[in-house]
Amino acid sequence: MRLFGQEKTYIFPVFVMGLFSVTILAGFIGTLLPSFNYLPVIGHTNLSLSVWFDFFSYPGIQTSILVTIFSGMTASFCVVTLAFLFISVSYENALWKFFEKILSPVLSIPHAAFAVGFGFLIAPSGWMVRLVSPVLTGFHTPPDWILLNDPLGISLTIALVIKEFPFLIMVAMGALGQLDIKKTLLVGRALGYKKEQIWLKVLIPRLYPHLRLSIFAIIAYSLSVVDMAILLGPNTPSSLSVLVLKWFNDPDVNFKLLASAGSLCLFFIVLVSIFIVYLIERIAHFFLGPWITNGKRSSFLALFKPFIAFMGICIILFTIISSVILVIWSLAWQWRFPDFLPTTWSLNFWAKGMVSSFDPVMTTVVTGVASAFIGLFLTIGCLEHEGNYRKNQTNQNQNSQDLIGLNQIRKKRTNNFIKNIHYFLYLPLLVPQITFMAGIQLLLVIMKMDGYWITLMGSHLLFVLPYMFIALSATYLSFDERVTDQAMLLRRSYARVMLSVKWPMLLKPILFSFAIGFSVSVAQYIPTMLVGAGRFSTITTEVVNIASGSDRRIMAVYALIQQCLPLIMFAAAIIIPKILYYNRKGMQV
Amino acid sequence: MRQFFLIFLSLLFLGFLSQAHAVDWEEIEKKAKGQTVYFNAWGGSQPINEYIQWAGRLVQKKYGVRVIHVKATDIGDVVSRILVEKAAKKLQNGSVDLMWINGENFKAMKENTLLFGPFSQNLPHFQKVDNQKKTLKYDFTVPVDNLESPWGMAQLVFSYDTSQVLKHPETMSDLLAFAKKHPGKFTYPAIPSFHGTTFIKQALSELIHDPKILSQKVSAPDFEKHTQPLWDFLDALHPLLWRKGKVFPTSGSQMLSLLNDNEIFISLSFNPNSVSNAIENGELPNTIRTYIHKGGTIGNAHFVAIPFNSSAKPGAMVFANFLLSPLAQARKANPKIWGDPSVLDIKKLSGPDKKLFDDVPKGIATLSADELGPGLPEPHVSWVQALEKEWLKKYNK
Amino acid sequence: MSLELENISILKQRSSIFDPVNLVIKPGEITTIMGPSGCGKSTLLSAVSGSLDKVFTLKGSVFLYGRDMANLPMEKRNIGILFQDDLLFPHMDIRGNLAFAIKEKTSRAQKNKIIDTALKTAGLKGFEKRDPSSLSGGQKARISLLRSLLAKPTALLLDEPFSKLDQTLKAKIRAFVFSQIKKMNIPALLVTHDPMDCPEGGVILNLNKEKG
Repeated sequence: MRLFGQEKTYIFPVFVMGLFSVTILAGFIGTLLPSFNYLPVIGHTNLSLSVWFDFFSYPGIQTSILVTIFSGMTASFCVVTLAFLFISVSYENALWKFFEKILSPVLSIPHAAFAVGFGFLIAPSGWMVRLVSPVLTGFHTPPDWILLNDPLGISLTIALVIKEFPFLIMVAMGALGQLDIKKTLLVGRALGYKKEQIWLKVLIPRLYPHLRLSIFAIIAYSLSVVDMAILLGPNTPSSLSVLVLKWFNDPDVNFKLLASAGSLCLFFIVLVSIFIVYLIERIAHFFLGPWITNGKRSSFLALFKPFIAFMGICIILFTIISSVILVIWSLAWQWRFPDFLPTTWSLNFWAKGMVSSFDPVMTTVVTGVASAFIGLFLTIGCLEHEGNYRKNQTNQNQNSQDLIGLNQIRKKRTNNFIKNIHYFLYLPLLVPQITFMAGIQLLLVIMKMDGYWITLMGSHLLFVLPYMFIALSATYLSFDERVTDQAMLLRRSYARVMLSVKWPMLLKPILFSFAIGFSVSVAQYIPTMLVGAGRFSTITTEVVNIASGSDRRIMAVYALIQQCLPLIMFAAAIIIPKILYYNRKGMQV
Repeated sequence: MRQFFLIFLSLLFLGFLSQAHAVDWEEIEKKAKGQTVYFNAWGGSQPINEYIQWAGRLVQKKYGVRVIHVKATDIGDVVSRILVEKAAKKLQNGSVDLMWINGENFKAMKENTLLFGPFSQNLPHFQKVDNQKKTLKYDFTVPVDNLESPWGMAQLVFSYDTSQVLKHPETMSDLLAFAKKHPGKFTYPAIPSFHGTTFIKQALSELIHDPKILSQKVSAPDFEKHTQPLWDFLDALHPLLWRKGKVFPTSGSQMLSLLNDNEIFISLSFNPNSVSNAIENGELPNTIRTYIHKGGTIGNAHFVAIPFNSSAKPGAMVFANFLLSPLAQARKANPKIWGDPSVLDIKKLSGPDKKLFDDVPKGIATLSADELGPGLPEPHVSWVQALEKEWLKKYNK
Repeated sequence: MSLELENISILKQRSSIFDPVNLVIKPGEITTIMGPSGCGKSTLLSAVSGSLDKVFTLKGSVFLYGRDMANLPMEKRNIGILFQDDLLFPHMDIRGNLAFAIKEKTSRAQKNKIIDTALKTAGLKGFEKRDPSSLSGGQKARISLLRSLLAKPTALLLDEPFSKLDQTLKAKIRAFVFSQIKKMNIPALLVTHDPMDCPEGGVILNLNKEKG
């Protein structure tokens, strides 16, 4: 059944694909040219490779690159492995249910805020050592251990794992709904397989394609992370992303060229890493086949069950404690080693912070709400199109029964088309921010469009949209179309059916993805700085500014305010459907 | 008689000049009215941010100029933004109207002609600036040429925890001895951070055999010969540093936290009042005191500058002028507010202006002007790059 | 004497959802449980297979070749199940789906032989490399049965396995399934609401709940 308006949904993916490819390409060129010594404004007009030679002979650059690859890849690998093991052993158990509840607040904690709290937790002068000092350790001054900023980037890696693990679990939770888990487990068990083994052999391989792009995004993020790397990563030398940012900000403008080369190198590392993962996928495909069908029914995984559950709990615990630490700091006056709690307390910093953060908070809220709204509009448009496309395709398949082979091909093509939209949407997450944002800044300035709120909001949208899409697509696409078909028979208006049936039924996931979009907008730092021309200070730019100072108490106040904004939004996403549908049991899921 | 006539003539001329000057300034104030000044300044310190807010409020009230503090993490950001604007031929309505600047950033702005012309001489309050101070004429040895207006003074001071260290070091070799006695209890920020570079420069000017050479442009053979004592010193010092020199703090601010956490016993800062200020607001315990090395420490100044494409130049000048006023300078010097030393010459002040400064309390951990001494000059700017490069090569592994 | 249901009743919130069931199914025999939807047919099957939902309480005992199944988890019971959905694993080819069921420590060559024979009996020779989603409904149903049988179950449960097939296919598949059960000589329990599904001469049990 096709009604007016339904055919036009193609506008959405076309618009999004256009917007994303043009901006990213423009930004990319703006970075590519300087890396080949072309930046006329500072008198570089001869294309040459000299910048690249300078880049590769910069002191410590090899270490920088290696540390970047090591920490980024190790973190991604651990996140993925841990997430798969965790899903395998705890799907639908009590811990899983707890995760479902706590995941959104945990995810809404901005990376920088978490890094500050985490740093104070594990530092030699931090909370863990204070807990046992001086009573057990005899330390009156902190031990001289390298726990933070270690040259190998291990503390950064651990922090990345803790921060990215909940993200992957959230994506998995959405995707798992699309798999026939209960029945698959029954079939597997009837064939004599243990639950864990069914997960590893059947369900995880089926889950993987749904998580693939998110995993790529995690890899790209881990390799190019800046805020966490500054706080927790090594600094002699720093990881490549931090180095690039330093070069971009160096008063000696010639470093701009080096920065461009560095950010391209970073992009290249991301590309190669993703390609390596692709190769691993191929190889795994080759080796996993025989392993899956080797007939072994029991799994050693069952033995590690408590351990894996423990890891999951630890990750959540570390995140929560990191926030608790911020609360304590925000109320402290004097707090020295080895005191477990501050010796003197004060509300002074809250009083100051609440006043001075008012304007930035307003800017943040307005920008976040606006970009999440537009993001939602575009996300639903794209998903509606995708849903219609899929439905169309299956109808065609059913109509022509004998052409099985042909339908296969057609189906594959559809899948490719859909996948392409996904890749476009994911582009901003796969290309390091610094690689194209600097180029975009140049472009905007040339077009005299920098420093406007609307462009600022647009730059946020680039990052808001993909995450909203990730959050909403699984639930939205698995919506039972029979309901809308039924409704269309009754109302015969596409728009009205959407407004009065489909969207109200999907209210909870829609609000949830709105909250995610909002929290992504809140967290944007580099786009706000570069596109906003410094004219717009959001709570995040304030946090980063304050973090460049020494006062941890005011920094904690700002970081907590920053954390609160997404939390409020998530709370609203949970409460609003409850209020609206308090007497509808079918909506209380 | 002839002499008298000449004096008369020159007096007349001066009077005319100042008259013209006054008219000019009134004109500027008139133009400034209603303008919005985007003041780009480091925003990492709550006391400083509050001070800027205060100044903005007053300028709004007195001159009708609205000041918006655009907080920057690193003023290098701002320099590169202006550069991008120039690249894009955005010659008017730039995003920055006034910026807090000095040293390398100023040099970069000047070299790339990103600055509005000389303006500070036109500011009425500029007359009271201490023009004896070399650091106000040469910003890191780069001639200021009135392209930036002075705002505050800085001098490297060390701080130590009196509850842990009985006698503070007085020379670099004392410092090395301290590190031997208390391994892991001293460090300095990594190069190329501002404080780190300053520490290296300080060490070099103490250890170099012929300090005079530092005021000249560096040359390669000289550099190797003259800096050898510095590298010997650092080679000996690094294994004794915090984290055995494998990890460095990234900024001067982080040093303060380390001092508070008892991670280190000796720290350094670039504001003689910063420790007093930190004790005042609970960031440091009252056991921290400051000191400087025998023979003095490196001093310099910081400024405000107007970029070439500022959209509110008169407004920026009015604000810069206000920042130079005795009222603003005295408040800034108060360790309870900020504690940033004034650029004004107290001797030129009288009456209520002088009283403002007399009323500024002395910080609990602040050295007196006599104790601080005149301050060592900055080495020629070319040394900085050479030193940073060599340091990175040697220790960035 | 092979699959015995002794006084089985299932309670939900303390009330039994059907009258107690007593059944003995001999190897090669198929017993059919009939009843309208919602009468608890499938719940009874899940009690036998060991996948009873926690909201239910099971009373009575299930014996398989004299062994009490009560405390055995589902995967240890060695009871095969066939659902109305084929539930073939879409990420594996047909060979993979079948090999998945074959017991450990079977060599690759042996496995191939077993699969080849199995496919032949189902009239699907040469289907090893096919993608499950490219198969027709009837083909999928046959593969699904083969998979259950390759695990060498000691009993088979059939949960409305033919209800999604169209009329012409139904008879064919039914005949195939019943012949395979005979050949394997295992007891089978079939749940259906379609009287046509019952094998000739098999035991039929109507699941009721006495009123009141």
